[in-house]
Amino acid sequence: MENIKIKVNGNEVEVSPGKTVLQVLKDLGIHVPVLCNYEPLLPQGSCRLCLVEDRGVLKTACTVPVEPNMDIKTDTPNVIAARKLVLQLLFSERNHYCMYCEVTGECELQDLGYEFGLDHFDFPTYERKFPLDDSHEFIMMDHNRCVLCRRCVRACSEVAGHYVLGEMERGIDTMIIADMDVPLGKSTCVSCGLCAQVCPTGSITDKRSAYLGREVQSDIIYSNCDICPVGCGMEIYKKKGANFIVKIYGDWNSEVSQGLLCKKGRYLSLYDEKERVSGIRIKDDFGYRKGNSEGLIKLINSKIKDAIAYVDGSLFNEELALIKEIFKDKVYSIYPVEPQIPSNISLKDLDTAEFFVVIGADLNRDYGAIGSMVKRRVLGKKAKLMVIDGEFNSLAKIADYVFNTKNINAAKDVLKNEKEVVVIYRDLNKEEKEVLSSLNNAKFLFLPQETNTIGLHNLGIKHEKVSAPTVFIFGKDLEGIKDLPIENSFKIVFTPYENEEIHKADVVVGTTNGFESEGSFYNLEGKTLRKEKVLKPVYDAIDLKTFLSEISGKIEKVF
Amino acid sequence: MGKLKVASIWCEGCSGCHMSFLDMDERLVELISKGLEINATPITDLKVPDEGTDIGIIEGAVATDHHEEDVKLMRERCKLILALGDCAVFGGIPTMRNYVPIPDLLERGYITTESTVQGKIPTSDEIGKHLSKVKAANEVIKVDLYVPGCPPSADAIYYVLKEALEGRVPVLSGELLKYE
Repeated sequence: MENIKIKVNGNEVEVSPGKTVLQVLKDLGIHVPVLCNYEPLLPQGSCRLCLVEDRGVLKTACTVPVEPNMDIKTDTPNVIAARKLVLQLLFSERNHYCMYCEVTGECELQDLGYEFGLDHFDFPTYERKFPLDDSHEFIMMDHNRCVLCRRCVRACSEVAGHYVLGEMERGIDTMIIADMDVPLGKSTCVSCGLCAQVCPTGSITDKRSAYLGREVQSDIIYSNCDICPVGCGMEIYKKKGANFIVKIYGDWNSEVSQGLLCKKGRYLSLYDEKERVSGIRIKDDFGYRKGNSEGLIKLINSKIKDAIAYVDGSLFNEELALIKEIFKDKVYSIYPVEPQIPSNISLKDLDTAEFFVVIGADLNRDYGAIGSMVKRRVLGKKAKLMVIDGEFNSLAKIADYVFNTKNINAAKDVLKNEKEVVVIYRDLNKEEKEVLSSLNNAKFLFLPQETNTIGLHNLGIKHEKVSAPTVFIFGKDLEGIKDLPIENSFKIVFTPYENEEIHKADVVVGTTNGFESEGSFYNLEGKTLRKEKVLKPVYDAIDLKTFLSEISGKIEKVF
Repeated sequence: MGKLKVASIWCEGCSGCHMSFLDMDERLVELISKGLEINATPITDLKVPDEGTDIGIIEGAVATDHHEEDVKLMRERCKLILALGDCAVFGGIPTMRNYVPIPDLLERGYITTESTVQGKIPTSDEIGKHLSKVKAANEVIKVDLYVPGCPPSADAIYYVLKEALEGRVPVLSGELLKYE
């Protein structure tokens, strides 16, 4: 389309059609105050702070598209007076007193007050008491601080796809509600926390990060989440000069997740209180005693000759490469690695898919970000959804078709008439595999069980049950070693968490974990992602990569 | 440079703003040497501002009938009224009590407080009666200058008084304009 000519503050400019006035002004470097406008969300024009004058009429710059012959003025007395009035109205009615608000110092409403030089209120405030909803485990919702910008509502639906938040009533009675006005903690909220990330005021806040520090007091570290194989981008706020994380935001610039995070990435990783393994434990006739790293290396040297290694998908590529170097081809995976049907689409393709089939995975619970990608298409009425599951699946209630695993053939009858279907699966039984691979209109996305399953696959590490006199076990999730034929082997376990299984081991070594470790891994699309080290370990834990490169050098000397 | 007569009162507030006023330290001497004259203030312990005072400074929100009378007298006797601090400017922390009925408020304050034994609600006529609602100063009288902050920094108070001494209308911005 041809560029169109408009006037901005008296100067003629050529702009491409399809842009909003706000985007044009931004490109021209003209500052326009905004509150409800937030780039990743669709503009709504609910706060009305971005008013500009076009041929004598006030318009909200964020929602009005440019059109020929526009004569935009951003600094007339009329515009400035209107914006000041709007800001005064935003401060009215509810409690916008900064001195006892948690977010003071990083509140967008407060910043606007400072920008406008607002030094008193023209309208009454604090007239009515609104409820404070603290029923949610992680999120605090204080309606007294709300300016009804509806960023949370839009983020919850447009981006996160949950459609939990909404609004009720009108005018000054308008309230942000969850579901049909139930407490947030009792609603269908899946705790992705995006609402708290986008809230411009102290209305929706993260309980854990309250009073831990401001953004300006934090170092921002961009990393990728390694809890599940999606690998969402994280924006981690670590308190400057301290060893703790204030909060975690979804990284809007992440190619994988584009701002999404789930409960696990945003909250559970910070609430991790599982018992950790500290130090080195070596078993002798009297039980475990504390060991040191020299003794451990000596012991490893004496045992390494006829040893094999078991690994799980929590290890990073660098660690796996070193294990491969030490143990050559005698490295096995504790858990299955091979996808039953290989993936042939990426996560980006989910945003254009028109029919989803979800099999054997509750996306709300286990792969939250993918759940969001599917739900925002399905609930946005842009795609259909079929859920095939043997047990309860929380996606079933929004699905167009629900089938029990046993009725896979009935599902096939529906699927074969569709143009293209995207099958998202974790486990397939034999029959499902047969039926689905016979569909010629199906694309597949395999959900690996562990973070770096794809990395194990790429390195050719296979899931085999092999026995040897000495077995090295590296991993986080050790439930699976029960099924390995290693009862009589000498077992050396490197793991971060305490577990029933490690009591059977002869040597236990605590390793770093979570935000204490760094490395790269392959996500489920096969993208190499990096996880950054944020915290110093508080336990006596070794860094596996450093330790392995150390013994790798020493063992070569022995051989 | 002419004289600048200043008076101040302390309504429903914590006195933090007056502390901030004193926190100007030696700059207070500088202001006085330039012509600042302080008459009735809680610091000088004089209650009634002189006729023809230039600036009447109000700290604290208007919470009782006494406060109401005091600020009205202030308005009568002063050419300009300056609301100092969040309580006088916006209502501030004292407005939290607007949600609570006054009898409950007094009972909580004087009787059921954990540290109180055999408490009694004071009834003397000399004590001001609570208004039904705590108000910002500009809800009772016309206010000319506002210096928000909890408390406003000494720098902000110094800037405002200095500007006034030099005959300009002070406009706060940047680091001097804070609501916390």
